[in-house]
Amino acid sequence: MNCERIREQIPEALAGRLDKTAREALVEHLEGCASCRTEVAELNAVWRGLETVKSGMDAAPDPGAKMRFQEMLAAYQAGLAAAQPVVTKNRTTWFPVQPVWQFAMAAGLLVAGILFGRLVPQAGNANPEMAQLRGQVESLHQMVALSMLQQQSPSARMRGVTYSEKIAQPDPQVLDALLQAVNHDSNVNVRLSAVDALQKFASDPEVARAMVNSIPGQDSPLVQIALVDMLVQLNARNVTPELARISKDMQMNEMVRQRAAWALHKMETER
Amino acid sequence: MEDEQIMREVRDGEVGKLELLFDRHHTGILRYFQYLTSNRTLSDDLSQEVFFRVLKYRHTYQPGGSFRAWLYQIARNVYADQLTKQKPEVAMPEEAREIRGAETPPDREFQKKQETLMLRRALAAMPGDKREVLIMSRFLDLKHEEIAAVLKCEVGTVKVRVYRAMRDLSDRFFALSGERAS
Repeated sequence: MNCERIREQIPEALAGRLDKTAREALVEHLEGCASCRTEVAELNAVWRGLETVKSGMDAAPDPGAKMRFQEMLAAYQAGLAAAQPVVTKNRTTWFPVQPVWQFAMAAGLLVAGILFGRLVPQAGNANPEMAQLRGQVESLHQMVALSMLQQQSPSARMRGVTYSEKIAQPDPQVLDALLQAVNHDSNVNVRLSAVDALQKFASDPEVARAMVNSIPGQDSPLVQIALVDMLVQLNARNVTPELARISKDMQMNEMVRQRAAWALHKMETER
Repeated sequence: MEDEQIMREVRDGEVGKLELLFDRHHTGILRYFQYLTSNRTLSDDLSQEVFFRVLKYRHTYQPGGSFRAWLYQIARNVYADQLTKQKPEVAMPEEAREIRGAETPPDREFQKKQETLMLRRALAAMPGDKREVLIMSRFLDLKHEEIAAVLKCEVGTVKVRVYRAMRDLSDRFFALSGERAS
């Protein structure tokens, strides 16, 4: 992909909205293009600065604004009511007027409901063979994903990560293999994909802890930033002390420190 | 309940439910005008006008599209009408006018404050169309699909416009600050 197309994606990448495929293409391009890396650094500085501009201009709405709105709404509703034609009461309806017929109609509906309930098969009695088959397919998915994650070729490992996303029920073995990939895989793209795949395990608080612990050991700032972004996406408030340390760690890449600070701010404002 | 469902009910006559949409979106609309005009009183008036027009033109709401995109289309029209009434003017933040005059103490907080002011100054000096797309993308967090619906253009065009606006802002900012990122 040429530089122009790549650069158009930088704002989306900075906003954390780029999908996995596009992000991988961007990473690959940046690794070999110094001028695009400079472009990212410049736009990143401005993008982060705009966050401060934003928080400085976010004044609380005037409480009187709601009152003005309500007055306007009430006036509009009054205008509508005045414009409505008067509804006459002698219209015919399908609902019976006499209490006797009303009772008869209610009893009829009750009987119809009971009959309907007996005739329609219950959802709880699903076919057990189908459930067993689903279980077998699920196990097969897990086995294939684990096997592919251990392959020599990066593309095969990448397919393994992608395959793991198909598994409906998170499995501890697959989780372990994905964390291994995030921490130790030699290929940046495999690590980035593994970070994305970990989203499936969001319910486990230890996953967030494993992810934040992985950040200092990573040699690629892009993987570090992807990990920070994922923690924000998972709203992992249990790791804010670790993120705070990262945001102040001068050994860390500047962009990573800024991203960690942004993540803390973001999780704090969404509290 | 989703915005679109509420708006359908407003369109069909339950106008009181507009209050729910006001509560959800008034702050965003107010910010949109504040970033465009830097004038709080005017922004309050324009925000009220937007919700009045939502009521007035509720029959034109088409289900299926994003309510937020439709709302910002109305806000955009309100702003365009405002511009025809008076000369377009973006007020400069008061403190931003004095950036150059002061000596710079080697204080990190002060430096950060100065950078923020320069950024606001650069933003205010941008052409209106670029500033608008940046406001929608960066400050209001509208999705590219929503911006495309507001501006009535393709999503790909929005991507290019956001990038160009960022590039423009970056050039103006670094020209003001006299340094570039490395």
